[in-house]
Parts: sequence; C-alpha cells; structure tokens
Amino acid sequence: MSRPGFVLTVDERTPPLLMHSGESFKLQEFPLGTRVIYPPESLPGVVDIDETIENALLHPVDSEPLPALLRAGMKLTIAFDDLSLPLPPMRKPDIRQRILEHVLQHAAEAGVDDVELIVATALHRRMTADEIKAAVGERVFRSFWPDQLYNFDAEDRANLAHLGTTDSGEDVEISKRAAESDLLIYVNINLVAMDGGWKSTAVGLASYNSLRHHHNAHTMVHSRSFMDPRHSELHSSAWRMGRIINDHVKVFQIETTLNNDAFPSQYGFLTKREWEWSLRDQALFLGAKRGLDLLPTKQRRRVFQSIEAPYLVTGVSAGAVEPVHAETLERVHRQQLVEVDGQTDVLVMGLPYLCPYNVNSVMNPILAACLGLGYFFNMYRNKPLVREGGVLILNHPVPWEFSTLHHPSYVDFFDEVLSESTDPKVIGPKFEQQYATDPWYTHLYRTSHAYHGVHPFYMWYWCAHALDHVGEVIWVGGDRRAVARMGMRSASTFADALELARDTVGASPTITYTHNPPHLLAEVR
Amino acid sequence: MATVPLAQAPLAETLSGKRVLITGATGFVGEALLERLLHDLPETSVVVVVRRKGMTSATERVEQLLNGAAFERLRARDGAAAVQALVGTRITVLEGDLDSIPALPADLDLVIHCAGEVSFDPPIDEGFATNLHGTLNLLAAIDSSGATPHYLHVSTAYVAGRQQGHIREGRLDHNVDWRYEAELAAQLRERVEIDSRSAKQLATFSNEAENQHGVTGASSISAEAEKRRASWVAKQLVDAGRERGRSLGWTDCYTFTKAMAERAVEETATHLPVTVLRPSIIESALEQPFPGWIQGFKMAEPIILAFGRGDLPEFPAIPDGVLDVIPVDLVVNATLAAAAQTPEPGTPAYYTICSGARNPLLFGRLYELVREYFIEHPMVQRDRGEVKVPQWNWPGSARVGQLIRLGERAQRTADRVVTHLPRSNRTRDWARSLDRQRGRLEFLRRYYDLYQPYTEAELHFTDNATFGLHQGLHPDDIARFGFDASIIDWPHYLQDVHVPAVVAPMTTLSAMRGVRPEPTRTVVNGASNIVAVFDMDGTLLSSNVVESYLQLRLPELSLPAKAREVSEVARALPRWLATERKDRSAFLRMVYRRYDGASLAELEQIVDDDIRPTMLTRLAPSAVRALREHRAAGHHLVLVTGAVSPLTRPLAPLFDEIVAAELQVDAHGRCTGLLKRPPLVGEARASWLHHRAAEAGWDLAASYAYGDSTSDLPLLRAVGHPVVIDPDVVLSRVARKERWPVEIWHQGTAPRRDETTPPPRTLRAVR
Repeated sequence: MSRPGFVLTVDERTPPLLMHSGESFKLQEFPLGTRVIYPPESLPGVVDIDETIENALLHPVDSEPLPALLRAGMKLTIAFDDLSLPLPPMRKPDIRQRILEHVLQHAAEAGVDDVELIVATALHRRMTADEIKAAVGERVFRSFWPDQLYNFDAEDRANLAHLGTTDSGEDVEISKRAAESDLLIYVNINLVAMDGGWKSTAVGLASYNSLRHHHNAHTMVHSRSFMDPRHSELHSSAWRMGRIINDHVKVFQIETTLNNDAFPSQYGFLTKREWEWSLRDQALFLGAKRGLDLLPTKQRRRVFQSIEAPYLVTGVSAGAVEPVHAETLERVHRQQLVEVDGQTDVLVMGLPYLCPYNVNSVMNPILAACLGLGYFFNMYRNKPLVREGGVLILNHPVPWEFSTLHHPSYVDFFDEVLSESTDPKVIGPKFEQQYATDPWYTHLYRTSHAYHGVHPFYMWYWCAHALDHVGEVIWVGGDRRAVARMGMRSASTFADALELARDTVGASPTITYTHNPPHLLAEVR
Repeated sequence: MATVPLAQAPLAETLSGKRVLITGATGFVGEALLERLLHDLPETSVVVVVRRKGMTSATERVEQLLNGAAFERLRARDGAAAVQALVGTRITVLEGDLDSIPALPADLDLVIHCAGEVSFDPPIDEGFATNLHGTLNLLAAIDSSGATPHYLHVSTAYVAGRQQGHIREGRLDHNVDWRYEAELAAQLRERVEIDSRSAKQLATFSNEAENQHGVTGASSISAEAEKRRASWVAKQLVDAGRERGRSLGWTDCYTFTKAMAERAVEETATHLPVTVLRPSIIESALEQPFPGWIQGFKMAEPIILAFGRGDLPEFPAIPDGVLDVIPVDLVVNATLAAAAQTPEPGTPAYYTICSGARNPLLFGRLYELVREYFIEHPMVQRDRGEVKVPQWNWPGSARVGQLIRLGERAQRTADRVVTHLPRSNRTRDWARSLDRQRGRLEFLRRYYDLYQPYTEAELHFTDNATFGLHQGLHPDDIARFGFDASIIDWPHYLQDVHVPAVVAPMTTLSAMRGVRPEPTRTVVNGASNIVAVFDMDGTLLSSNVVESYLQLRLPELSLPAKAREVSEVARALPRWLATERKDRSAFLRMVYRRYDGASLAELEQIVDDDIRPTMLTRLAPSAVRALREHRAAGHHLVLVTGAVSPLTRPLAPLFDEIVAAELQVDAHGRCTGLLKRPPLVGEARASWLHHRAAEAGWDLAASYAYGDSTSDLPLLRAVGHPVVIDPDVVLSRVARKERWPVEIWHQGTAPRRDETTPPPRTLRAVR
C-alpha cells in the first residue's frame, strides 16, 4: 500500500535532503523547523492495461462506445500529446502507442479508411521522426508516417479552420482536418492537473490567432493556479473555446493518468525518503553524483536525457471531454495532492534537468525560470505555498546556453527583450507581435525543429503569477549574468540565499521545501 | 679666450637692412630662426625657400607657419593681420626644394642653410642627395644669382664621428673623397634594385608573401611580394649608409653625409665668407619664443616618453657619459651672432654650439631628473592607473643588446605559434599582446641601434670659439641673444621646461584615445542597391568544409565503408589543412572530388533531412540578427560561399541571392566530383562582387561584407563597411589596423552537434 504525501519538520535527526539542481543533484541541510513536503508514494498501476483501455473505449463516460462511433467512409482524426508529455519520457511501450493501437484496431474493424494522426504540437517544435516513432510505436509509425501521421502546423493557413468566437470574443482556430472530421479522438497523458480536458484540443491543435487570447500576462496572473482548473483563467478560456469546437466536431477524449514512478531503479534514491535509503541507495547516490559531476556537460546531458521513466498507468477514461476530465483529475489528485497547513515565508525548490520544452535539448535560462516560477510555483490549490511578498529560492545552475536549433527565438528574446524589461505586462504589447510573425522563426517552426517565435513570451507569461506574487527570487548556484538578465538575484550557496532573503522576510522566516519531482500538488489550508 | 672683438653695435643694428635667405624654414631650427628675425630684428628682411606640399603652395605653408604656436608672441605684439602681411613684404617666399632651387635674388647678404635630412638612417643615396647635393645645389644657385653672401652652414657637432676625448672646433680631420662616395652611393641604388630582381630574391619575396597571404589569392600575393621587395631595397640602402658611415668612423649615415657636405662647402665655396655651425642635440626652447617650444619629436623625446610609459626597462648607455643637449633658442642666438661676424672668404669660421663643454649633462643625471619628474608626475595609462617608471641598472650596451635579441627571438616563436592556433578570443588576445610587445621590441631595437654610438661615445666637445662669440656680444644683447650654455639650470630645464613640453601632447592624445570608441557595426537604412554580403563557413556557421563533406557523405555509406571513409579523411587531413593554408580553392576542389558518384537529388534530400538541424544548431543567432537588420534596412542580402550549393539550402530563406559552388552532374544525376565553375574564394569573391555590382547597379561603397578569415580580405576590402566575425589572427590584426568592427558570433553560444541533435537517420529512410 503506498503512503500518502507527507510534511516533514526538520529536526536534529533529519539527514541532509536530496535536492535537484539541473543536471546534478545534491544533499542539502536545512535549518531546524523547515517544512519539507514529500509527494505521495507511487500508486499501483492497473493490473491489465489492455483490458483497462478496452474497457474505457467500450464503456465511455457520457458517450456511445467507440465502435458505435466508427463507420466505413467516415473521416477520422486522432490527435495526441507531443513530446512535452510525460516527463521524463516513458519507458516503451508508451501509453499513447497502446491506446492508438486499440483505437486503430476498432477503426480497421469498422472499415474506416480515412484516418489521420496529428501530433498536437500547437506552437511547440515539430517532433522528429524518431521521437514520433518512440511515442506511437513501430507499427503505427510504419503504417501512417509521413502522410497520415504528421506534426500539426499552426502556420499552415490553408489547413486551419476558424470555428467562430466565444462569448468573450476569443477566436477559435484549429486544425482544419480535425475540425472537419466526423470524429476527433484525442489521446492525452494527464501528467499534472493542468493537462487535459478542453486544453487538449483547444490548445494543442490551435493557431497563434487562438492561443493569444489566453496565453498572455493578464490571463496568467489570473490563473491561481493554472494547476487548479476551477480557478484558472487559462482553463476557463480553453473551456469556452472547447464548447465552440464541440458544436463543430464530435470529440471523443481519451485521458490517461500515470503514477509517480518518474525515475528508473538506479535512480531510486530520487523517489525515496532520505532516512529510509538502503545501503544500495546510498551507494547509488554517491556513485551517480560523483560520476555525473565528473562528466563533461555534453555527456552528462546525454545521460540525463536518456532517462526513461518506468511509469505505470493508474487509469484510462474515455468519452465526453468534461466528465472524462473530472475522473482524470480525481486520479491525478490521488497521486499528487498533499495537504499543507498555511503558507511559508520562504519556498525552496530544486529544479531538475527537464521541463516540457527541453526534451533532447538544452534547458536555457528562460525555460529554467518557467519551470520554477511557472510550473513548480503553481503546483498548489487554494493559495500559493509561499505568502505574498515572500521569497522563492530556486536551485539550478541557469547556464547561459541555448539550443539554436530548438529555441532560436529564445536567444533573441533573452538578449533583446529581457534586456529592456522583465515585466510580462510590458514586453507583451511591445514585442510579442514582432516575434510571432517573424518570417525566419516561422520558417524554422514549420520546416525545422524550432519552437514558434512567440514561444519564449509564453514561457515568460507562465512566470507572471509568481513574479506578481513573490517579493524576491534567488537562484542558488545560478550563472550571475543570466540570472541578472532575468531581473533576479543569485547566491553561491543556500546559506547565502537565506541571508539575502532576510532583506525581504526578516531574520527568522518560515521555510518550506517541496521535495519534487516526482510531482506533488500542495493543497494549502 | 675671446677671439672675437667686442661688437660695436647690437645685432639688430648690425643686421639691419640685410637680406637673409633661410632654407628649411619649416624645420625646427629654421622656424625658430625665422621667428627671431621677425620678432627681434625689425630691419632685416627674409627670403625663404619652401617646398610645395601636395595641394598647399609654398606661400600657404608660410602663412600656416605664421599662424602656428611659435609666432604667437609676434602675433600678440603686432596683431595677426600685420603678421600675415609680412608675407610678400618682409618675407619673400620662393617655391622649391634642394633638388631644384629657384633663381635667387641678387641682393642676398646672408644665407643660412638649415635644410637637411632629418632622419638618422636614411637610405644612403637619399642621405647624399639631401645633405650633400642639396648643399651643392644651393651654392650653385647662389653663384648664379651673382650675390656673394655670407654663407652659414648648419651642420652637427657629431660630424666629429666616433672619436674619444676633446673635439676641437675647426676643419674635420679626414681624407675621405666626398665626390667618389657620393657617386658610388648614387650607383648603389641601381645595383640594389637590380639585385632585388634576381630570380632567387624574387622567389624569396613570393614565398614570404604566400605564407602570409596565400589564402587570399594571386594578386594579393604579388602585391605583397612587391611591397616586400621595395622594403628590402630600402633596408639594403639604409644598411649600406649606416655601415659605410661606421666603416669610415662616423656614427651613421646622417653624420657621415653631413661631414661630407662640410668638406664640399670648404672646397667649393672658397669665394664666399663661410661659417660652419655645429650644434649638438637640439631640444626644446629654454626661453624663446617661449619655454618648452618644440616642433615635432627630435632625438631624445621618444626615449623620454617610452621611459615615462614604462616601456624602457634598460638603456644601452653609460651613466657617466655626456648627453650633449642644447636648447634651440641658444642655437638660434649663436647663429645670429655668427651671422654678424663675417669671416674672410676661404677661411671658414667654425662654431660648436653645445652644452658639454661648460655645463655637461651626464646621462645618469639626466636619467635621475627625468625619473624624478615622472615619479612626481606619472603618466596615466588608460584603465591601468599610473605607470611605474623603471629603474635602470646600466648593464652596458652588450647586455641590453642581448636582452633585445632574446626578446625578438621569443617574439618570433610566439608569433609563429599563435598564428597557427585555432581561433578563439584567447588566441586573439595573445596575438594582440604579442603585437603590443613586438611594437615595444621594435622600438627598442630601433633606438638601440640608433643611439648606441651616441650614448656610448665619450665625445667631449669644446666651444672656445662659440664662447668667444658670446662674450663678444654687445652688452645690450647679452640678455636677449646670449648663448652661454653654462647658464642652463638642468633640473629647471628638464623638469619644468623640456619634459613637460614633451609629455603634454601625449597626455592630450591619450586622453583623446581614451574616449575613442571601438569601431562598431551600424546598419543604416538604405536603398536596395546597397548589399550585405555574408560568408558562410565560419561567419554564419561555426563549421568548416571537411565536416560538411563528412556529414554529407556519411549517411549514404554502409558501415564498413563509413569507417574506411573516415580513416581516409583522417589520413588526408594534414595534407588538406596544409593546402587550405596556402590555397583555399585547391583545398575545396580536393574535398569536393570526394563527392564523386553521389546523387545530387539524394544530397539535397540528406541536407534537408539530416544536415539542416546541424547547420541550424551552428547558425549564430547574432548572424540572424544582423541579417534581420539589413533586411529591415532594405538591403539586398547575398550569401557567398565556397561550399556546394546543396549545403546552402537550409539558409536559403534568409537571402535574396546565393552564390555557391555548383557540382557537375552526369546524365544520371550523379556528381562527377568536379565543379561547374571554380569555387568562389579569396579574390574571386571580390571580382565577382565588382562584376555583379556593375551589372546590378549596387553601391559597394555603401555596402557591407561579413567575413571570418584572411581569405575573405579581398571581399571585405571591396565594400565600404566590412565587418569581421570571429577572425583568425591575421585578419584580426588587419581589422585592428583598419579599425573595422569585430564581432564575436560563435564563442560560447554554439553547442556541439551531439548535444542537441538526434542522430542522423540512415539512408534506408531516405530511399
């Protein structure tokens, strides 16, 4: 039986605790009284995954069974989440592959010929053929690539359909193929509470014209948090759009949830509580830490990027979008929710090597900021873990390093935009349009493997709520120039960071450390 | 002692109504002399022979001179307009020089010949032409004018040569045949010019030029070789002058030819009253026209400045040797006093104007005074604070020479190493500091060679005649026209007058240099007839041709073939790199030969699928920004590369025009390993650009070019706005000299291929 999440109070007997810091990790001692939040232990996976999938397809929520929706001569489109999910990438077979195989089996049995599979990349980079193959499996890949299995192209004007505007005046513009299909099936991996629901289709298959309505500083400041759809302006907008989509095309949503087995057994120490480490865990930690630190950056990155998570599937739901998503969220919460009493003055987080946008790539400073201030900070319900005006201490080296292949517009954003202002509300009106329509970025997004020109803005908007809420952000071990460019401060050690924090929160602040990943969602009372 | 009887009248009176010809009036002594004549001898009129300089006529030069600092007190006293009005009234300007002296007036009373070679080490023929033939020409012109003036010949105390002990005033004691020496010196140039054209010499020049400029192309090499030949000729003649002078007992070509000129005057001007004036080292004015007045830099100034800058760790002098320095106003006074005493024709008068005889300044004392000055008033170097002045240990000339030779050898070795290192910021920094050091060493070498004879000479000039002349001055003149060197208070002269005067222009100059910004690239809006030309490898991308070749060929090959190919390339690599240093075009052909048999369509497919990520990973973000700027400015964007055209495909949307190497294809669409046209490298790019510009009406002077290596020099020189990107050492030196903007686009920004790119897929997927 897996144990629930847990809040530890550091006392004399507490050993140094594990903390992620980019492509490394360390053991960190905390001041007495520090609260440490551990995620719940991994839930068991479903016993028979094929049976679970089949069961979901045949007994969907608020929908006819899948076979009843399929008929010969129909136009079927299947969209699925791209490589930003799950993190780390899942050990094969990927859950998407399993579901696609089941769905395609039913389609074949029904005699459906016109099938297209679209990677719902939105403005993310095109996945490479190998990456797609890893997600969909060899069989599907061989049968459909490249003409019936392809990356969504949000800049292909001829293949976008404007479905109308919402009551709030938001354009709904998505893939024409998806919009004009007789049935649109969406296969998702609901790693965190933000994913899924109408966000799958209304965001994953949308163009800039549509996304700009909710991917902006104003919406993000009013999404408290975007990990809690009930209180997320982002999700409200996506839901409004989803209803328009629903008027045009029948959507059959398949959502899956994973447990917390984010790391393979040789990295078992990453998911265990330190005082319960076996001799083997201690040896593995020491070996991994020493070995990795000795490796050159390049090799170290390769080791980290090759980690595959032995995730187990905790459930599959299919049917109408909204009731399906309700079931999904319930499972996500069961795996990730931890109850925490009250806010803290100082919130400490260790940022790992990976975020949704640097799979097989470099975590540049903007992505590091987005991971800390966007994702991790927002992993709360009710109210943020850190009090308003409090201090965030992030552990990450923030190297001044960019992939010019994947993140070309980030380089310019970092040099040209952040050097002028770091205020999301200021940079949006001033620079966003120029980056969103730049022909070279667009060319790279469409033909190479580059994130869309506007993407770094979205990353920075993701930080808007945190930047608005906290009084100070301090990076431990961060590259000083890069951190300063983002308008934040760096400290060489955790102790120095606490010292700096005194200016904002006084001499004896309350401190909370979130011991993730694996993911946790703090329910703050 | 007083050999001259006491003057009956003051100088102003004696020289009143006289007409004086001054040669070299724009020079140091000449200008001082002119100023004194105009200021203090109101009844004396002047004729000056001045050379036209470019577009400036002789008269304009004199007018400019009268506006200069030396004439400030005259302008203050008489008014600027009145001073300018002197031209054409009291001053007669004749345009000409020592080679072609114009017709002189017939009523000259005095001729003061100040003009001469200013360099200590001129080529031997030039030394003779100026110092000897110039003098003979002047004497001939005097003769043809019909006048028989008193001829005052300004020579130098150092015509005494490398003697030791007391040097008396009077005719020099030597039997050198000046006519014969002059004739041979003139012939020597022809001989050296012929020698420089021997096959062996020419081959040497070409080889040297090729080593340095090989990659740029044939015409750059030939231009460089010709430059080397000319400087070789000059060096041979300079060496010949110095060595001939030394072999006959003089310090250098200057004193040698000056001595020859004296003898020529003695022998040819027997019908004229002749006075020979021999000043020692002339330095800034003690009093007149104002304390510290100096024109240009003379002998000791570079040394003083170098010392103040801390660049002179030791000096090849002996501390108890005498450095015979004389302020220019004392020389002027003595000259005027001598002018008032007309000797008998055929028996020239000799005056040595020096300080060593009655007020010797020892080298050690000079050093102490100058050092004290710089300790009190240190020079400030930009960003480095005050300079610490060195302390000399006087190790002797041999030791200093040895140190310099050692430094030069280390410098040459380091330079060879640094030009072969892979380019990086660090390499360029090393190169820059090596260049600085080389400048310092060259300075040391030059002054070591030049000064050694002077500083080591234990000459002791006597000046009895000159002192007599001083004592013979009319009592009214003693204060204004005196030239008794014993009155010089050396601490005052050096610390309050001379050194501050020498340092002042430097501090203003370095203050100016302090604010002089590094050259930066600015893209200005313009019409579409302005182009921006970009080189690809190394400029836009951080990659080179060998890698491109391997990437292009590898996916097509099976595994064993792949291994073989890699090892073949590895074996050929040293040869390729050697070829690249010499001839980029040959190098590219060698590389492209290996495309033999590859299918062009497949190559293009491979580029699109597999090479694009690598190239885009290596594409400098700053490059894209620069392109964007040019695009916004409305310029026409051109990519010029020696790479094959398929490789330019990923960058194609960024440009309006792409010029790349085209692979020749056979009937089956397979590459033959040959190119359709020679690859566009080095000079070919510049000529292509000129050709295209003429065709398309581009304005190259307003256009931009971006390049990274020496082979891009012709291209960079072809436009008005060259920009240098991550340059190699040679190019970075050129850029610094020409003040071209240098930008770093790649370092620290381009991750290696394997960090970010998934492994290239195999050809199976392509087929």
